[in-house]
Amino acid sequence: MSERLELASRLCKLNPDIKEEDVTVAFGYDLKPDAGTSPTEGFVAVTADKIYIYEHDVLLKTYNTDDVDEYFFTSGVGCVFAECSLKTGGHVLLCRATMGHIDVISSIVWQLNRQKKGAAYSYRYEKDVDVKCPTCGRRYPPGSHICPHCAKKAGYLRRIWDIAKKYKWYILLMSVLYFIASLLELVPPMINRILVDSYITAEDAAELSLTNQFFIGFVSVVSALLVVNIISRVLGVGRSVLANNVATKITVDLRNMVFEKIQKLSVSRISKRTAGELMTRVSNDTAQLQSFISSDIGTMIQYLLVFLVVGGILFAYDWSLALLILIPLPIVMFANYVFRSKMGSLFHRQWQMDSRASTILHDIFSGIRVVKAFGMEKREGERFDEATENVRKAQIKSETFFAVYQPLISFFMGIGEFFLLYYVGNKILGGEMTLGEMSQFTSYVSIIYGPLRWLSMFPRRWERTMTSVVKIFDIVDEELDVFDKDNALDLDIQGYIDFENVAFGYDSGNNVLHDISFKVEPGEFIGIVGRSGVGKSTLINLVMRLYDADDGVIKIDGHNIKDISQSSLRSQIGVVLQETFLFSGTIYDNIAYAKPDATRDEVIAAAKLAGAHSFIMKMPDAYNERVGEHGHTLSGGERQRIAIARALLHDPKILILDEATASLDTETERQIQDALQVLSKNRTTLAIAHRLSTLRNATRLIVLDKGTIAEVGTHDELMRKKGIYYGLVMAQRQMSRMAPKNAS
Amino acid sequence: MTDTEKNKGDMASLSDVVSITYLTKENAVFKHEGDFLSLDVTLPETTSPSGEVEGGQKYYERIYLHRSFPYDHPYKFISVLDHDNVEIGLISDISDFDGEVHDMLKAEIDRKYYAPVITKILSVKERYGYSYWEVIADDLKVSFAVRDTYRSIIRVTHTHIFIKDSDANRYEIKDTEALDRKSYKKIELYL
Repeated sequence: MSERLELASRLCKLNPDIKEEDVTVAFGYDLKPDAGTSPTEGFVAVTADKIYIYEHDVLLKTYNTDDVDEYFFTSGVGCVFAECSLKTGGHVLLCRATMGHIDVISSIVWQLNRQKKGAAYSYRYEKDVDVKCPTCGRRYPPGSHICPHCAKKAGYLRRIWDIAKKYKWYILLMSVLYFIASLLELVPPMINRILVDSYITAEDAAELSLTNQFFIGFVSVVSALLVVNIISRVLGVGRSVLANNVATKITVDLRNMVFEKIQKLSVSRISKRTAGELMTRVSNDTAQLQSFISSDIGTMIQYLLVFLVVGGILFAYDWSLALLILIPLPIVMFANYVFRSKMGSLFHRQWQMDSRASTILHDIFSGIRVVKAFGMEKREGERFDEATENVRKAQIKSETFFAVYQPLISFFMGIGEFFLLYYVGNKILGGEMTLGEMSQFTSYVSIIYGPLRWLSMFPRRWERTMTSVVKIFDIVDEELDVFDKDNALDLDIQGYIDFENVAFGYDSGNNVLHDISFKVEPGEFIGIVGRSGVGKSTLINLVMRLYDADDGVIKIDGHNIKDISQSSLRSQIGVVLQETFLFSGTIYDNIAYAKPDATRDEVIAAAKLAGAHSFIMKMPDAYNERVGEHGHTLSGGERQRIAIARALLHDPKILILDEATASLDTETERQIQDALQVLSKNRTTLAIAHRLSTLRNATRLIVLDKGTIAEVGTHDELMRKKGIYYGLVMAQRQMSRMAPKNAS
Repeated sequence: MTDTEKNKGDMASLSDVVSITYLTKENAVFKHEGDFLSLDVTLPETTSPSGEVEGGQKYYERIYLHRSFPYDHPYKFISVLDHDNVEIGLISDISDFDGEVHDMLKAEIDRKYYAPVITKILSVKERYGYSYWEVIADDLKVSFAVRDTYRSIIRVTHTHIFIKDSDANRYEIKDTEALDRKSYKKIELYL
């Protein structure tokens, strides 16, 4: 049952005059209205004419909905408020709640306001009810429907297997090779026994040594040892080559899997993580999983077989002795079980410190010019030192733990050997066992301890792998919030853009844009104007569908943008952003980026149009000049012109210019403006500019204010209106008049 | 004239160029209006470059208080904002206001910043990049989940921390070293 229906029936029990179906909205809260820290329990219910606020089933307050002017949602820090302003003046608090209520409350407030304006109430928020894990009641991580608390390890094992099974024949072959190599290890102790019993300690060895037969026998035994050794070395080489082969294949697969997923994620999801963190996922975590699949799974199979075979031999030889040897096994298993979580957290900590250090490193290197410009090398050095110091500390902590844990475990495992020594010694003294047999037997025991020792190391590897695996699947399983529908359209775009009551916020409850409605005809040049932070860039991000609108519909050529395939949409939109990003490579690579099949003539034409050709030709390698990382060898204006050339070559149906010419000097800007003017003739253009003169050719201007459209019209119309646009223009004129004065 | 004074003479300091509007008991009257605070303020009149006259006497029915340095100075440098998030002025220290007004401001700030204080940690379990906490906070047993634990801890000082859970709720530990030994052991790894 949804929260609304549950609370509605509770309200009706408390207040029999109200019918359940009259309750439009009901939501719970968990904090007292006042004071810093004060948990409680209560709910707010809204009917057509009244608002009821209950705490512990006691009616606190009621308000008439007719008296309400507007509903508000306010974020505190660690808590949220629902409030409303009254027509008689003043704001009243409806409730205060912890952050878990943010989605429901913000969405309800939004809907209540729409309802006040006459829109029908839709129970949109109720679809979010299943945001909690049914098993433990915890909220799912954002974008996920897997509760990490209740996720089964077996589930992850199966997923590892899903990846590994592609290589099952390799893994099997490898295990067999390993197994044969292990079986070969059984042979030398056997030969040793013959060597000892028949030749070295034989009673008549001194006499026999002179005979030819004895000599041939002796040499054959030694040669057999040599041959076994050679075979096992050859097998070793074969299996290393095979293992490396599989390992690299798996790495490539895993990295592609993670990388492709990251590329599919929307900008909002990606920006929640740092570049350094994503790099760690793609490189380190996949490497960890790779080594588990390529080596640990094989070793596991091999050791299991060795354990069974050697264990079988030992049991067949003397079962009571075999049992003595196995006494430590339960102790080791128990210790591993007890310390598993301790080891897990030690590794997790080490992983975190590592990742933090590489994030800092990435930070410093990508901001190296700022670091140097402010002479902060020393401080950054200290910051990195601190991070590496933390890595060291975490490493020492886990290494110290293992330095103590491992020998202790080895000691317990070794206890069996003491029993063995006592037992075997007795047998030899009693004449029941020869020296050669003893040597063979103790060798077998040490062979069977191999798998046991490995078992004691296994939890460490397992935890390390699982930490990486969970982090990998955390990305791989992330739900796509911007995705193509199954029957997504491949559209040949004409250039109609239609916003209908669009609302959007980067965080829930914080709408950057609301009630945005406008229509653009193909070929129109629309200027988007407004103060910083008013949502201009957000608006064009929605057109590019880097994000999906929270409410309302965006249409391109009459089709909902969500029905159009992302690739067909973006291949027909050209963008020039204020922050141009050039990839390391040549100028040619960067211009041709959006159209790899462009001819050289086209690239030159685009560069000419963007005013880039002349400065490119001044460079020694012209179009083949390498621009360095992020294009740092070029000036801001040059980078901008290359980005414009890139967009022009793309020949888009919709052109988006976000402060595209802001970093250029007035003369160059004018040239490019003229070029854009020619170019934008038959294509829809959306342009954002702070320098309003840039937009003088716009067919219409959209003025945004407080997240909504305040004015629409041509430059002349808006100037006559003397509104916000007029104010902005006046302020800029004053600035440009003042500028020369200040300069003199 | 000392060197520093000479430099001052040549160069405009930041405070000459930017003026911070401070709200004091002389120019600002805070009152309860409904369940929130209203502000009656009188500021000196100035003319902006675009010709708009700013300042003078103004009434705000609902104001919002925001800490500039929430951890270092929770009751100092309080920004007073109007409904459109535009700053009206800054309160440099709420203790500059007298008894009743001071309490009103403090209560308003306190209810906006909600962070139960953890006094005892019952258990912390790590599982796949999340940690699951069970604690006693403000005398109540509370459980919550933290994503990427190490990064979700705000370290104000070496011993004073805030923990952000996966819903963005905050929990405060005023002094980790004052915790009982068992509790401390459970979080030692993250400090």
